[in-house]
Amino acid sequence: MQSPDSIDEHDGQRQSEEVLRFVDKNFRLVIDSIPVPVAVTTPTGEVESLNQPTLEYFGKTLEDLKGWKSSDVVHPDDLERTVASQIEAHETGRAYNVESRHLRADGIYRWFNVRGFPLRDSQGNILRWFHLLIDIEDRKRGELLLRESERQFKTIFDEAGTGITLIDLTAGEPIRNNRALQEMLGCSEEELSRFETYDRLTHEDDREKDAISFRELCDGKRDSLRIEKHFIRKDGRFIWANVIFTLLRDHKGRPLYIIAIHEDITEHKLALEKLQANQDLLDLAQKSAGAMAFDWYIQEKINTWSPEQEALFGLAPGSFDGTYKGWKKMMYAPDWPTVVEAIQHAHQTGTVEAEYRVVWPDGSLHWLSTNGRMFFDGEGNPLRMVGFTSDVTRRKQAEEALRRSQAFLTEGQQLARMGNFSWQVATKNITWSEQLYRIFDFESSVPMTLELIATRVHPDDMPMIYDMAERAERGEKDFEYEHRLLMPDRSIKHLHVVAHRTYDQDGRLEYIGAVQDVTERRLSEEALSKVRSELAHVTRVTSLGTLTASIAHEVNQPLSGIITNASTCLRMLAADPPNVEGARETARRTIRDGNRASEVISRLRALFGKKEPTNEPVDLNEAAREVIALSLSELHRKQVVSQSDFDEDLPTVMGDRVQLQQVILNLLLNASDAMNDIADRPRLVVIKTEPYEGNHVRLTVKDAGVGLEPENVGKLFDAFYTTKNSGMGIGLSVSRSIIESHHGRLWAMPNEDEPGATFSFSIPFATDGAMTAQAGSADSKIEQTEEH
Amino acid sequence: MEIGPLISVVDDDESVRESLPDLLKEFGFQVQTFSSAEEFLASDGIGQTKCLVLDIAMPGMTGPDLQRELKIRGSNIPIIFITAHGDSTTRPRMLENGAIECLLKPFSEDALLKALNEALRLN
Repeated sequence: MQSPDSIDEHDGQRQSEEVLRFVDKNFRLVIDSIPVPVAVTTPTGEVESLNQPTLEYFGKTLEDLKGWKSSDVVHPDDLERTVASQIEAHETGRAYNVESRHLRADGIYRWFNVRGFPLRDSQGNILRWFHLLIDIEDRKRGELLLRESERQFKTIFDEAGTGITLIDLTAGEPIRNNRALQEMLGCSEEELSRFETYDRLTHEDDREKDAISFRELCDGKRDSLRIEKHFIRKDGRFIWANVIFTLLRDHKGRPLYIIAIHEDITEHKLALEKLQANQDLLDLAQKSAGAMAFDWYIQEKINTWSPEQEALFGLAPGSFDGTYKGWKKMMYAPDWPTVVEAIQHAHQTGTVEAEYRVVWPDGSLHWLSTNGRMFFDGEGNPLRMVGFTSDVTRRKQAEEALRRSQAFLTEGQQLARMGNFSWQVATKNITWSEQLYRIFDFESSVPMTLELIATRVHPDDMPMIYDMAERAERGEKDFEYEHRLLMPDRSIKHLHVVAHRTYDQDGRLEYIGAVQDVTERRLSEEALSKVRSELAHVTRVTSLGTLTASIAHEVNQPLSGIITNASTCLRMLAADPPNVEGARETARRTIRDGNRASEVISRLRALFGKKEPTNEPVDLNEAAREVIALSLSELHRKQVVSQSDFDEDLPTVMGDRVQLQQVILNLLLNASDAMNDIADRPRLVVIKTEPYEGNHVRLTVKDAGVGLEPENVGKLFDAFYTTKNSGMGIGLSVSRSIIESHHGRLWAMPNEDEPGATFSFSIPFATDGAMTAQAGSADSKIEQTEEH
Repeated sequence: MEIGPLISVVDDDESVRESLPDLLKEFGFQVQTFSSAEEFLASDGIGQTKCLVLDIAMPGMTGPDLQRELKIRGSNIPIIFITAHGDSTTRPRMLENGAIECLLKPFSEDALLKALNEALRLN
């Protein structure tokens, strides 16, 4: 550490050397010319002479000062030390150097650096001692001050509430840190004396950025640096610190120290984050609720609306002029009375509650709902309004839709002959809709009871009503019935009842249900069923064109026999001698074959019908679905469950849709017939479609029936071959003809691992690229189309 | 009576197996009948058969199947197909595949005789 005195001290040193150099020649002159006090003593220490500055400083004479050791010229605290230094010097003959206070003429002690040098002759004997007194008062004072300020600095440093590090750039290490920093970062003093510790604690995202700034500071490119550092303490806690680095330079401007002051701003940061989060939450809430808070000073005509509030009115941000008039202008005129009423209400209560429509600049209408408070001036004019506004257009639309659908429901119930009821089982309280009274033909004023209902139920169906009541008592979830009513005029009504379990506000069991009068449907179903059975019969035997091949085969076979036999007969009769017995036999065979042909013709008679075959794209899935739908009732009657496994990407085939449906119907009914006597397993028929052999599609009908006798498989497709008591056995033959006319194949296989048989046909799909099936989902799916 | 060439008739239809041999015998041929192609293949009469009268559509092995099987076995017995299923495309197809003739039931004795003569001439 340098002080201003160092220059004087240096000068003193130089001057004393001069003295030594010139003393022999003219030391008196030399001594007097030295501007600082100088004393000359004998080898034993007696004061011999003093120069002028000495006399002036002390304000005493030479005589006075000869006895300095016994006076107060030297500060009593320093006297002993000063004398001892001189005695030691005299004994050793070596120069001495001592600091002591000397009394100035005005009575003030000042610090001096007293230096003594021996003057020797050529033999080295000491002739005199020179004592040079160099004033070091200022330096001493500086030292004192420095010590004091150091003490204060240390106190501040150690006791400061903020964390401080002092970095010695020469040593390249943080040389000091205080308790506050140790506590803040959760490290010991020793740990914080290494840069490495700070690096480790610094959040890795900040490390590089912080290091660059710090390097600039160390290099003296800047004098201070303020960064927010994100520390992770050893215990895992996050600390945010505002760190101020200050660079201290030496007198030549070289970087010497850095003081880094750490202020813990973690709580502040957290509070800020929380605040931001709260603001975000509010924004989110406003946005998601579509409700915007506003505070409108109406008379000041200041637009205090948020852009979101303006958006509710279809306005661009900042375009609302803030006036009451401007606000009124946006109102949908027919709703203005409502708004006025709301304002009047607000005048009395202060509460604003209004739902009204506004007209957006684009002309569209929007429902808004405002809830808030309105403040008025002394004259009752609106002054300020605070509250929430939200767009309730969708709710309003939904309400309108609900109102409409309620109206529709009432009307629809009437049209659909459907009534509703609710039934509280415990209280026996039954509520009926008007339509239900109408269905049962009761006066709508009559309180409804189960007993009253029973008077209308068809006697044969009463068990169902008892069953329903029992199930309701047990609290079963849903039930569904079809039963009949026997009306007073003996007419029969068919009802379809569906009920669903629910609980009223008090948690009591209640059934809500619908009753539909399905009489007409039931009657038409019965009629349809009759038509269908006729149709099923007809579809088995129609399409003469497709029968031709089959008929031809059936007729040609006996004809062939007839001709062969007749030829043989003629030949036998023409022989010499004629083979009469042989001729008789062949003639008999001729008659037999003729009868056979006749039978074929008679059995065909019923089948003749005419229909022009067509050729169009056919979606086999769709065709099969129609057939299954048409057959459901028939299958149901026979307790057959049908299951579809359709490939939804099935390509379209070209052909006659009705003919192909005849085939599918035929296969389906055959499958059903084949399971007539099956009682030990489900009567399941699976209809499956899939691509087959590259360019074909295949439809298979698999039953769980009696199966096929291997020896009969070949005959299955012959016309009139049948294993059934009824039917003509024409079905499979016709089917095969139809399929072959579609360039396809129809065949049968016994099921491999289970009872029953599988009938399949495959036909090539339409090669025309445009003829692809309307693809649904990519996966084939199982459709369960029948229960029971 | 001199012993005529052996004609084999394969047809699943019993009335054919009943009536055709009588006529063929009247023509002067020897006849053996089989109700299926498999039965014919299993018999020891293949080598002696000079002409095969063969039904096209039969359960199991069909007429054309048998024709192919015989070809594989190195036999070139002339074949006359008969069928009750035939249409206008059947005959050309059969002839193309090496049949001597294809007769659509019912056929005349002249047509049969003509076909047989052609078959036997080849022999």
